[in-house]
Amino acid sequence: MRNYLLTTAAAGAFALAMNSGASAAGWDGADDLPTSPLACDASAPAAPAAAKPYDGGKAVNAPDKASKEISLVDVPKLIGIGYFNATSKGITDGAAELGNVKAKTDGPTEAKIDEQIKFIDNYITSGVDGILFAANDPVAIAPVLKKALSKGIHVVGYDANSTPDAREWFVNQAEFNGIAKAMMDSMAKEVGENASFGIVTSTFTTPNQARWIAEMQAYGAKCHPKMKWLETVEAQEDNVLSFNQATTLLNKYGDKLQGLFGMTSVATPASAEAVTKANLCGKVAVIGLATPNAMKPYVHADCVKSVVLWNPIDLGYAAVHVMRAVVDGKLKAGDTSVDAGKLGKLNVVNGSEILLGPPFIYDKGNIDKFDF
Amino acid sequence: MSAVTTSARASRARIFLRHETVLAALLIVALFGLGLFNDRFLTVDNLLNQGRLMTEIGLIALPMTFVIITGGIDVSVGAMVGLCAIVLGYSWKNLGFPLPLAVVFSLAVGAAAGLANGLVITRIKVPAIITTIATLTLFRGLAEGISQAHSVRGYPDWFYFLGQGDVFGVPTQLLILIIAIAVFGVVLDRTSFGRTLYAIGSNETAARFSALPVDRVKLTAYTLSGLMSGISAFVLVSRVTTTRSDMGMGYELDAIAAVLLGGTSVFGGSGTIWGSVIGLVMIQLLKNGLALTGVKGDATIMVIGVVLIASVLIASSLQRRRE
Repeated sequence: MRNYLLTTAAAGAFALAMNSGASAAGWDGADDLPTSPLACDASAPAAPAAAKPYDGGKAVNAPDKASKEISLVDVPKLIGIGYFNATSKGITDGAAELGNVKAKTDGPTEAKIDEQIKFIDNYITSGVDGILFAANDPVAIAPVLKKALSKGIHVVGYDANSTPDAREWFVNQAEFNGIAKAMMDSMAKEVGENASFGIVTSTFTTPNQARWIAEMQAYGAKCHPKMKWLETVEAQEDNVLSFNQATTLLNKYGDKLQGLFGMTSVATPASAEAVTKANLCGKVAVIGLATPNAMKPYVHADCVKSVVLWNPIDLGYAAVHVMRAVVDGKLKAGDTSVDAGKLGKLNVVNGSEILLGPPFIYDKGNIDKFDF
Repeated sequence: MSAVTTSARASRARIFLRHETVLAALLIVALFGLGLFNDRFLTVDNLLNQGRLMTEIGLIALPMTFVIITGGIDVSVGAMVGLCAIVLGYSWKNLGFPLPLAVVFSLAVGAAAGLANGLVITRIKVPAIITTIATLTLFRGLAEGISQAHSVRGYPDWFYFLGQGDVFGVPTQLLILIIAIAVFGVVLDRTSFGRTLYAIGSNETAARFSALPVDRVKLTAYTLSGLMSGISAFVLVSRVTTTRSDMGMGYELDAIAAVLLGGTSVFGGSGTIWGSVIGLVMIQLLKNGLALTGVKGDATIMVIGVVLIASVLIASSLQRRRE
């Protein structure tokens, strides 16, 4: 009797566990925000939207360090992957150029929000002047960031946002709908309008990936209605897991899968490797966000035709300039643009986000020009 | 066991050579050393904050001590934390339970999960390590399946009091941890339940033939493990204001490290709650102190590893001296 009960329970649990891929219906970006798909034609992403009132947080009683040296810590989602090595380099370059900024990158070795919170907490205690972050979870990171703000520490995010009131500014690499448009258009160009695709992402609740997928679904429904979204799988920014998940998708759907999206800079090369190992190069398209260096072998082997990204070095560079502007009082609530050194003037969108620019597509023609 | 001498000096020497005493001495040395390197480390603010952050692992390490003393192990605690967190959020948001009922329900699910572990281990006699590795995957899969990747947010303000509030300046969850330590410590030291745990760990067959309720005690230990995972999940959700299906990943290793560092033998039969507490505090303060001194994350992990190895070596050499 007990054995029977246990086996039924186990069977039920496994059935539920099998369901852990999200189905196409009702993906709400796991954060309940509305989507705003761009126009279907090739028009450039829109100019800055109508000004939204500033909705960021405020550092309480921050010491006045205008033009004085400040010490920053950068806490990305995790350390040790090419993408965040690049943003870290951008931050170091920006700090060196400004001259009066000391910046250090430190973070967890796995993309875990709990570890990231502990890192930030320790740096609050050790008394830095500013914190730069890329969040693993927008809501979970908010309490510790608000604590930083309440202690007079400036907080600027990049790459992955937190809730707006937990940081002063957020440097967005590209508009979410712009990335969605670039990804879906690239896929449609490569495998056609009737294709079915799968998505390999980090976790379903990582802020930026979740928003991109939500926008991709909205844009796909609007402009590529015949493309079928088969499944999204989680791979936690882990190389081996991404490869395994991609291979599982290839085996599960066989001929029915024509394209794979990689939503993180770890998932895309891993998916390309999975496609290469399964001898499906040219038959299954791999489109995704990745650093050029990781994708050079696959692009040269014609396995991957195009890689969508922005320049993460510029992202880190912009973040450190925004932080300096905030400390110097040159960037205040209500401003519409900020001066970011060699990047020129960056626009403020969505109240407290600073836009880096339109997404950039790397392909065989230009990928060798970049080294990160 | 060594020959019992009645000399007071010999028994005093034995106290000094106990693992827990050596560890406590090391802890004090470490505290002062780190305090010298960094003036923000030994502040009340920082220490209380560390108390707040170590509660989740601490609550799990207490029943883990019981389980390891019996010679078993429970590596599914992290997954139980994730499952209880998801159940809390899901039953509140999707099933519409009032929030206090959702909390009680998630604790009940945690206890049930621990009970399931215990039943498989005691009735079906599958070794603990195999059972809990299997249930680790099972519970984590359940958490992913139930949540369908949605996180639950937007809890009412009173809910955050446990994870982020203070009572007379002491973080709320730290008070709960202290009460739990006291209760578990008394149970292990002074009750027959505690003595049965040691008996099971030393020699389970002999314990059975001595008519001790071996199965019932083991079942209780594993159920407690599940229940405390549920409480830990409650504290965690309250602290980070959201539920995620990957919560609690890796907690089992942190809890086991604290317990083993505290001198509990992995073969069972010895160990104390006080040792586990010192182990827990040592790991937490080492991580914190090193980070404040400017040591980066990866180096800190190495130091913790070295400390753990050193502690296990000391524990086993002390054990050999005793025999």
